[in-house]
Amino acid sequence: MLKKIMIGLLATFILLVSIPLQAAEFPTKEVQIIIPWAAGGATDLIFRALAATTGQYLGKAVVVVNKPGGGSAVGYTEGMKAQPDGYTLTSAVNPLTILPHQVKTAYTYKDFEPVINVVSDPSMFLLRSDSPWKSLKEFLDYAKKNPNMITVGNSGAGGGVHLVALAFEAATGVKFNHIPFSGGGPSVTAILGGHINAVSVSPPEGIEHVKAGKLKIIALFAEKRFEMFPDVPTVKEQGIDFVMGMWRGLVAPKGTPPDVIKKLHDAFKQGMDDPVFRKNAKDMVVNLHYLGPEAYGKLMASEHELYGKLLKEIKK
Amino acid sequence: MLESLQHLATGFTIAATIHNLFYCLMGTIVGTLIGVLPGIGPIAGIALLIPATFGLHPTSAIIMLAGIYYGAMYGGSTTSILLNVPGETASVITCIDGYQMAQKGRAGPALAICAIGSFIAGTIGLFGLVFLAPPLAQAALAFGPPEYFSLMVFGFVVLSNVTGASLLKALMMAIVGLIIGTIGLDPVTGDARFTFGSIYLLGGIEFVAVAIGLFGIGEVLINVEKPAGMLEQRVLIPRLRELYPTLRDIKRSIGPILRGAGIGFGVGLVPGPAPVIATYSSYMIERKISKTPDDFGKGAIEGVAGPESANNSACQAAFIPLFVLGIPFAPPTAILLGALLIHGVSPGPLMISLHPGLFWGVVASMYIGNFILLVLNLPFVPLFANILRIPKKILLPLIILFCITGMFTVNNSVFDIWVMLLLGGIGFLMRKWAYEGAPLLLALVLGPKLEVAFRQSLMISHGDFGFFFNRPISMAFLLATMIFLVIPLIRVIFKKTMKGGGRQ
Repeated sequence: MLKKIMIGLLATFILLVSIPLQAAEFPTKEVQIIIPWAAGGATDLIFRALAATTGQYLGKAVVVVNKPGGGSAVGYTEGMKAQPDGYTLTSAVNPLTILPHQVKTAYTYKDFEPVINVVSDPSMFLLRSDSPWKSLKEFLDYAKKNPNMITVGNSGAGGGVHLVALAFEAATGVKFNHIPFSGGGPSVTAILGGHINAVSVSPPEGIEHVKAGKLKIIALFAEKRFEMFPDVPTVKEQGIDFVMGMWRGLVAPKGTPPDVIKKLHDAFKQGMDDPVFRKNAKDMVVNLHYLGPEAYGKLMASEHELYGKLLKEIKK
Repeated sequence: MLESLQHLATGFTIAATIHNLFYCLMGTIVGTLIGVLPGIGPIAGIALLIPATFGLHPTSAIIMLAGIYYGAMYGGSTTSILLNVPGETASVITCIDGYQMAQKGRAGPALAICAIGSFIAGTIGLFGLVFLAPPLAQAALAFGPPEYFSLMVFGFVVLSNVTGASLLKALMMAIVGLIIGTIGLDPVTGDARFTFGSIYLLGGIEFVAVAIGLFGIGEVLINVEKPAGMLEQRVLIPRLRELYPTLRDIKRSIGPILRGAGIGFGVGLVPGPAPVIATYSSYMIERKISKTPDDFGKGAIEGVAGPESANNSACQAAFIPLFVLGIPFAPPTAILLGALLIHGVSPGPLMISLHPGLFWGVVASMYIGNFILLVLNLPFVPLFANILRIPKKILLPLIILFCITGMFTVNNSVFDIWVMLLLGGIGFLMRKWAYEGAPLLLALVLGPKLEVAFRQSLMISHGDFGFFFNRPISMAFLLATMIFLVIPLIRVIFKKTMKGGGRQ
């Protein structure tokens, strides 16, 4: 009995001593970012670029590890199960708050501590430049009169831009014919070839073709206009209160000490402000959007609720 | 035409600077190594090296990363030939005759013909890239969901019976492949299918796991089963003068190489699983027109030369949609797209006019890179062929080790290793009872794409099946499929009436 108490005391002592020590020294080794998708996607690229600039501010290298599979479920499950010591972070993107509504996952966003949001890209609808609809009003009028006739491509069933299109339907009272493709690339190819009428995308998808004049932005779901295309009004300006997009940030497993989160947050914030990263981000046409842990947590909570509602609508 | 040549000349002055030559050499060496190691594909290789290019000039960076991609296509056939382990989709077909050649002591010629064929096809592909890029890219856009569907149907019917052994068994294997292909998230509704609640099955079964399992692990098990005395033996001892192809080999290969290059280039422009369709088609055509079709599957050099060439020119063709449309049709070009974006170059309709130096510099570097690869690969042939001198009792466990580590590097997933080992066991049984793995793999790749295209088409047409028939390209593929199915039937009926009943 005495032995057990002694062990217990010893363990408590070690724990008490080691926690502050660990925090003071954090990081003592490299920090890992799990990307729940294959290498080369938008999320992968942006975090590889961020990892490259953040290392110098953190004092240890930041490495990116791809854990694709299960439509991101594999990576998030692994990220959730990781030691909450700050050495394993996971890149959190919209599907973190979408997939748990669709299939039984071991996690929700609540199993993670928000660290920092890095990117928010507004979503948009693109049409071919030679499309008969010249304005958002014409487009929606036609859609109202001809429900289910306008084909709108998306990058995957139940994926971010599909849900954006569904939410836009709900906001405007129209009905589109949604066609899923396996990724943003194929959906843009399909509209270039004229196989669908419109496509729901998020930059940088399709941007080059808008620049080249092959495609046009018919609906921009952003708070403010694009710097690159100052003539394209947002849908909000046109009287539809609708803003939606894709966000990408970093989360740590639940239970990571707050001071470790703060250290990570500060380092990644500095990495984000680094001119090299800013240039890389600008070249990739992504919209940097900083949010601290608290604001980022709120964003995930509201998105989780929104997607839950939307997905219930589809199931009906 | 002349203008293109002028641009190309400028491109050469850019690509031939010491700086860029160095990166071209680095890219092709890394690419070859990645290709040789089973499992690690060009995708992982390029992705890992992207951060290393941050400090480079965009042209140098893309020269190096592109070098990794086409370099890997050269190296990819090595393990297929020597060990029956296909590292990726493109080298499945090479296993069939390449491995048989190696078993007969002709690993050297097989490896050499791959390098030579790849060089010729790569060069042809590049000419296509220079002169035909913009119009071809536009033509590729004509492929929408119904065209895809019909192309896949055509591919299925024509390509399933790869070695021409038993049609029934080939179709059975194709159906097993289709079934495996349905595992994962439903592409249209997003529901989980046949996952039994496992998150690891949500993304479907990894193709590489099936390929390495059926071919590589299955082969090792077959060997282990042989009498103990045979394990002591060496597979074969190639003599030095047999390391390189004879004049006869080259004569037999030149036709398949040129045809393969043409097929590969055409198929490479079409979005979708180009390497699979290109290599399978080339193999089927060579077998069909061969005077000795019975040699196929037993070590025919045509069965190595054709598909390997097709694979390489498809790889060059894949750069066209990437550069001209800014749309990657294949996963490795998707990664290159990412790399271009990171370097501030957005591929698309404006790329050639906005960044002429980069476009033509990279294209010119591919000519140089193809030459470097040939020079680099031929001397390695004896070295690689010597791997077979290792006694089997040492070689076989090493193969298993390579397969396991290689598999892990694909997705960093232990689950994939279990899938691979399970399929290794199944592959062993299949080999014993003469069921082929190639139709299963074809179906596994085409099946999910076929399903998506079918459902997309019907969603667009609101359920009207006529959609497949009133679009010309789609109709043409369906007609070709019909003809392909009906001709043998007519022939049989015709023969029967001629012979008055004929043989049973």
